[in-house]
Amino acid sequence: MITEAVVRANATIPSRTEHVRAALELDFRRTERGTELFCSQQQPPLRVVRTFPLDDGGALGHLHNVSGGLLGGDELTLRVHVGEHARVQLTTTGATRIYRRRAEAGPAVQINEISVAPGGLLEYVPDQIIPFAESRFRQQTTIHLGEGAGLFWWEVLTPGREAGGELFAYEGVEMKTDIFAEQRPIACEHVCLEPARHDYSSVARMGEYRYWASFYICRRGIAPKDWRSAEDNLRDVAAQMADPGEVRWGVSTLVADGLAIRCLARRGHELFAALRTLWSEAKLMLYGREAIPPRKVN
Amino acid sequence: MRLSVEAGRADPITPQLALLRLLHLADSALPIGAVPHSFGLESLVDAGLLTPPVVYKFLAAYLEEAGVLDAVFCRAAFLLGGEHEFCRSRWVQINDRLSAMKPARESRVASSGLGARLLALVLGIIESPRVRDAIETSHEAHSVIHHSAAFGFAGGVLGIGLEETVSAFLHQSITSLVSACQRLMPLGQTEATRMIWDLKPAMLVTVDRSRQFTPETVPCFLPLLDWGAMEHPALTTRLFVS
Repeated sequence: MITEAVVRANATIPSRTEHVRAALELDFRRTERGTELFCSQQQPPLRVVRTFPLDDGGALGHLHNVSGGLLGGDELTLRVHVGEHARVQLTTTGATRIYRRRAEAGPAVQINEISVAPGGLLEYVPDQIIPFAESRFRQQTTIHLGEGAGLFWWEVLTPGREAGGELFAYEGVEMKTDIFAEQRPIACEHVCLEPARHDYSSVARMGEYRYWASFYICRRGIAPKDWRSAEDNLRDVAAQMADPGEVRWGVSTLVADGLAIRCLARRGHELFAALRTLWSEAKLMLYGREAIPPRKVN
Repeated sequence: MRLSVEAGRADPITPQLALLRLLHLADSALPIGAVPHSFGLESLVDAGLLTPPVVYKFLAAYLEEAGVLDAVFCRAAFLLGGEHEFCRSRWVQINDRLSAMKPARESRVASSGLGARLLALVLGIIESPRVRDAIETSHEAHSVIHHSAAFGFAGGVLGIGLEETVSAFLHQSITSLVSACQRLMPLGQTEATRMIWDLKPAMLVTVDRSRQFTPETVPCFLPLLDWGAMEHPALTTRLFVS
């Protein structure tokens, strides 16, 4: 439920030719009833209709984009604050579609500004990103983790509308993710794909694979030797799901406070099941309980 | 006898001396421990993904991504080494950022080991308060010194040209990777030499591209190489440390 929510909707509906600048701001706090969404600023097309309580006292929110996707020139901002000891799970209601860009339009831009207060936990487990032919997408994510804060954050990039034969037909995808522990960076990822300029079938890049996933697992305050054990354990779990002709998984400790997981796959259909397995194993190691998958997959 | 070199008031050096020093620092025989590192290549070869016919294409893509990344950090560190006032916080910042940009533990540790040994070696042959300061600053900040940053920093301190320093770093990186390939697969001396020779224009394009980025804006996308570096600890028989 959204408790004491303040919802300020933008009353003006943009026309087809206008570019949208909109923000969704979510402030989660821990109360005696569990984690609740206290303050939400929602501007169309972004919405969280309600949150659902999770069995572990957390809150699950579904991120909606009621326009169905991002258009060239749109600039959408998601701000999430997870308060002290609050537990939040965010997912999307479907794939993030990046539509074909009009000639005069700029890239579709998504900005994510995330903070997790001491002892808080954010699990961000969205559906895949599908950049349509001739689309251009730019995403910038900044995450700040307080003392003892935790994070599960994955993103999956598809080659396009594969069923329709669109493979790497987009103009460009740029995704920049910076994760900080206090002020120190622990993971900085900045990928820029421009299929018309570069050959992604190179063995250095994607080879024969088409899907790419990046998954960060963090919890501040855990000793480096324990992260090494976690790396070994998750590598074993990933190895059981690997099929070199279809999917490859890599697991490694970050410079501090976490793990990075990378996946390359030829197809996307089994990728999410594997991500959920790794998520659950990691959560068991770090929090002593398995992950609770979003209701949409139950 | 040790030479005394300090940025801003270095003993005048001729272009020929600068060239010789650069050749020395970029020599694969420099005793900093580069030989046992493949930076993930061993896993790619073990998986049958990297074979002699695709090595050239692999290295070209490597230059376009990791080459630019390293060149940007080498350039940034060069400027710190050559500036009148040494900005310690920026030195820590760029090395921390590069650590965070290297997702695979073994490659990250290899890079920081090479960088630390390179600056220690430089300090062993010249008397440079600037180099000593950089080493101590990293230590006090619980940070590291990455190879590209150390190489650039040394170039700046020694008064070697910026573009020459960045070019030389890329050249020795590619030479090192080709050497690893030779130990991992049937790649002959002549073919290996031809590859390095033919990639020199691409190295200069990489140097040129690196001018348009900063450590905060440079992208890098080498997911299969990342996979190789992450999977390297799982190999049952390993020739390389990374």
